[in-house]
Amino acid sequence: MIAFTDIVGMDLAKQALMLLAVDPSLGGVVIPAAVGSGKSTLARAFADILPEDTPFVELPLNVTEDRLIGGVDLEATLAKGERVVQHGVLSKAHGGVLYVDSLSLLDSSAVSHIMDAMSRGAVLVEREGLSEVHESEFMLIGTYDPSDGDVRMGLLDRIGMIVPFTTQNDYRARKLIVNCVLGKNGSEDTEDELKMLKGLIEAAKEQLPHVSMTQEQMKGLIQSAVSLGVEGNRADIFAVRAAKASAALAQRTDVDEDDLKLALKLVLVPRATRMPEQEEEMMEDMPPEEEMPPDTPETEDQDAPDDNSTDPDEEEEQEETPDMIEELMMEAVETELPDNIMNISLAAKKKSRSGSRGEALNNRRGRFVRSQEGEMRSGKVAIIPTLISAAPWQESRKKERKKKYGKVNTALIINKEDVRIKKFRDKSGTLYIFMVDASGSMALNRMRQAKGAVSHLLQNAYVHRDQVSLISFRGKEAQLLLPPSQSVDRAKRELDVLPTGGGTPLASALFLGLETARQAKTKGVSQVMFVVITDGRGNISLKSLYEKDAPKATKEEIEEELQGLSATIFAEGVASVVIDTQMNYLSRGEAPKLAEKLGGRYFYLPNAKAEEIAMAALS
Amino acid sequence: MTQTASAAKKTAGAKAGTGSTARKTSGPRKARTKKKQGQAYPFTAIVGQEEMKLSLILNIIDPRIGGVLVMGHRGTGKSTTVRALAEVLPMIERIKDDVYNRTVPEYLEAEKPKQGRKALTPEDMTVEDIPVPVVDLPLGATEDRVCGTIDIEQALTSGVKAFEPGLLAQSNRGFLYIDEVNLLDDHLVDVLLDVAASGRNVVEREGISIRHPARFVLVGSGNPEEGELRPQLLDRFGLHARIITITDVAKRVEIVKRRHEYDDDHQAFLKKWSREQKKLQKKILNAKELLPEVTMPDDVLTDVARLCMQLGIDGHRGELTITRTAHAYAAFSGDKEVTMDHVRQIAGLALRHRLRKDPLETMDPGEKIDRELAKVLGEAEEV
Repeated sequence: MIAFTDIVGMDLAKQALMLLAVDPSLGGVVIPAAVGSGKSTLARAFADILPEDTPFVELPLNVTEDRLIGGVDLEATLAKGERVVQHGVLSKAHGGVLYVDSLSLLDSSAVSHIMDAMSRGAVLVEREGLSEVHESEFMLIGTYDPSDGDVRMGLLDRIGMIVPFTTQNDYRARKLIVNCVLGKNGSEDTEDELKMLKGLIEAAKEQLPHVSMTQEQMKGLIQSAVSLGVEGNRADIFAVRAAKASAALAQRTDVDEDDLKLALKLVLVPRATRMPEQEEEMMEDMPPEEEMPPDTPETEDQDAPDDNSTDPDEEEEQEETPDMIEELMMEAVETELPDNIMNISLAAKKKSRSGSRGEALNNRRGRFVRSQEGEMRSGKVAIIPTLISAAPWQESRKKERKKKYGKVNTALIINKEDVRIKKFRDKSGTLYIFMVDASGSMALNRMRQAKGAVSHLLQNAYVHRDQVSLISFRGKEAQLLLPPSQSVDRAKRELDVLPTGGGTPLASALFLGLETARQAKTKGVSQVMFVVITDGRGNISLKSLYEKDAPKATKEEIEEELQGLSATIFAEGVASVVIDTQMNYLSRGEAPKLAEKLGGRYFYLPNAKAEEIAMAALS
Repeated sequence: MTQTASAAKKTAGAKAGTGSTARKTSGPRKARTKKKQGQAYPFTAIVGQEEMKLSLILNIIDPRIGGVLVMGHRGTGKSTTVRALAEVLPMIERIKDDVYNRTVPEYLEAEKPKQGRKALTPEDMTVEDIPVPVVDLPLGATEDRVCGTIDIEQALTSGVKAFEPGLLAQSNRGFLYIDEVNLLDDHLVDVLLDVAASGRNVVEREGISIRHPARFVLVGSGNPEEGELRPQLLDRFGLHARIITITDVAKRVEIVKRRHEYDDDHQAFLKKWSREQKKLQKKILNAKELLPEVTMPDDVLTDVARLCMQLGIDGHRGELTITRTAHAYAAFSGDKEVTMDHVRQIAGLALRHRLRKDPLETMDPGEKIDRELAKVLGEAEEV
């Protein structure tokens, strides 16, 4: 076991964890880091600096809904003859830490339950005849490798601190890490250090209620949140708390510059949706605050029981941010933005090219919704419903059996017709990956068609659970414009501005599509369909991306690349549709060839309407 | 969870519905560990987000409006606001300990006397006042808990098939709230659509056959970025409130301050806001009383119909909703006659989600409604 104080590097992550120990209402810490950076070691070592007996629960990625939320403890129920409740993982973490390794690989229903528990501070169990509320206030520590994909924003929003992404590159630090792992550190020192650290945190907890922040400082932090385009109000609250916790750790009663800087780095900057320099024009784009209808509670807000200092009207006059904070923000942004923020919010785009991932977690990944009559062998037996259906007949069956055999041996008589089978619902349907050729002169037209088709697919109630992703290819490299999503709003927004023209890096698009498909499959998507909209003439090779000085690839080389890629795509069970937009009848038949390579279908739709493309994809 | 929910639990099984088989009353049930969660953040202390607050209030005034869908940015207080609602709701009268929250006439209608027995009269009934229930339907709920099912404990121990009512029973005459409604399982959506349309819940499973009233105001919230809502469900919601991040720094500072104040000392904070809460409650109650007297002149009605026609809204639900909502809004404003000004304030709420969706349309539905409204009123220069 490696102690918290032994871990080298990851200073910001450590700082975040200490703040959390001081003020658990910060909700948690997310640590994105590459494989082998020691992130999970650090997270586990967090228990060292918490008071003894604090629960520390690790959430397995393949957790079932039953285990997560809780339910009926079958064995105990049968033994006792009355309902015995088993608490779920979320409830077990109450008052302590819930740790999730590979947060981005957690399936979406589990994420929803965690989100719900975090916003409620409790778990509502409404399952299988149970109706209970279990307390569930915990700190969430999540680590993940950004190359595995994103963590859902809704979840990130409820976690106070997000450590900027860094890869551990320092050679000496690495060596130290290795030494620590091998246990070559003096263990006595470690113990002393830990004791000290714990004392420090205890002192800070006592100090915390006495820490105050000036009005100016608070306004400054919130102004920064506004200019960074941070969504919602939770981050504001977290930022203030983080700054105060930081001051408490330093045994101060006033928040100072360093505290604010830390709050910016850990809370606000990682949530930025835009660069602050765009501020002015963006502000104009923002819709004005809604006009209040004359007779709504807002008017009552004004004469609310209020200490005068918090009257919003009064503050209206001094709109500017205090200079100091603005400087701090710019500093924090400059140092953190180019590398880190991009890594967080655009992690999907910066994925490693390392190729294949581990195998998909398959088996019963769907969600258990209901039970129905069925054969014992045809699926997973739903035990509680089976018991329920058997229960009313017990008395009469026992009587009957007694009559027949003279005695009854079993406590419970379950007949074939009592058996109930769990009905799972597949979590997600098909992922449609649109790959749109944005090169050449007809690109705009194709883009518009694709956009329409995407919206069309998403709005179709029939494909409710399906997702759509969009890749555009032009110039040297394909780009993932829209990671797998179900949202029309998001799709529209992402697709609004699209550059066109340039070469046709078809291979790059297929490669990116394949990666997206693989990632989606680890998250439970059952089927992937490529919809390639192109005239089929790839003329930029994948190789040129990696070897800067490579000679221009020949037609044959490009062809070979495409052949290989297509074979892999086909072998991995990805279905494809190629939509040919070549206007010229004398086209060289590249698109049909592509369809053939991919083992997919081919449609010639030079003037395709959005609906036609959507239909082709659905057919 | 609300008081009613726990009250219902205590009597679960007793007087279970009008159904045939499940008549036996249960013995005293074991008290379950149901901890009441700390009192919610006060409704009136929520800064901004008027659209959402107004649409919730209008639904209290007239539950027939058909509920609210609140969609918008995360972390903007959607669920906080809905959960705060319970504290400003009025009281309703129900048969004492009735799990379905029925009124005396509803009860008499449902529980027909057995042959040879004396008919029940209102005098036989004891009633009690309870706050309008707000029931939370979590995403992980299973169908049996939503619809109700046979009580397993009783079934196992005494072989009695007693019906244990579900969340739909608890929410009768109240509010049913689903957070992240766009992520709700398809199967539960089907159940909800069915019950919302008919106002009753029919359970035919495990050898029991129960039907009971389940009329509730459906409140859903979610973030559109996480997924779309099934169109049929979307259509069910009377109003659609949109919610965006507040960009006014002063307001955001105020939000943070109030939150800290609340976290520091719940009781003191609640006390500070209790006057406001009572004031709003009173205002809602007055509006409820005034509502039956509110009328809508024919010319206003004509304008409303023209507006819906020009917006190309299918069916009559749009007109019906906008009319009801306008009545409720007039009552809330203390007016006895609905004017086009009232209509203007709520048109977006009532119609936003009913416009036909055009994938390539860039104009915000709200703007479109405003523009058409201006045209109807002859205010707009032709576009």
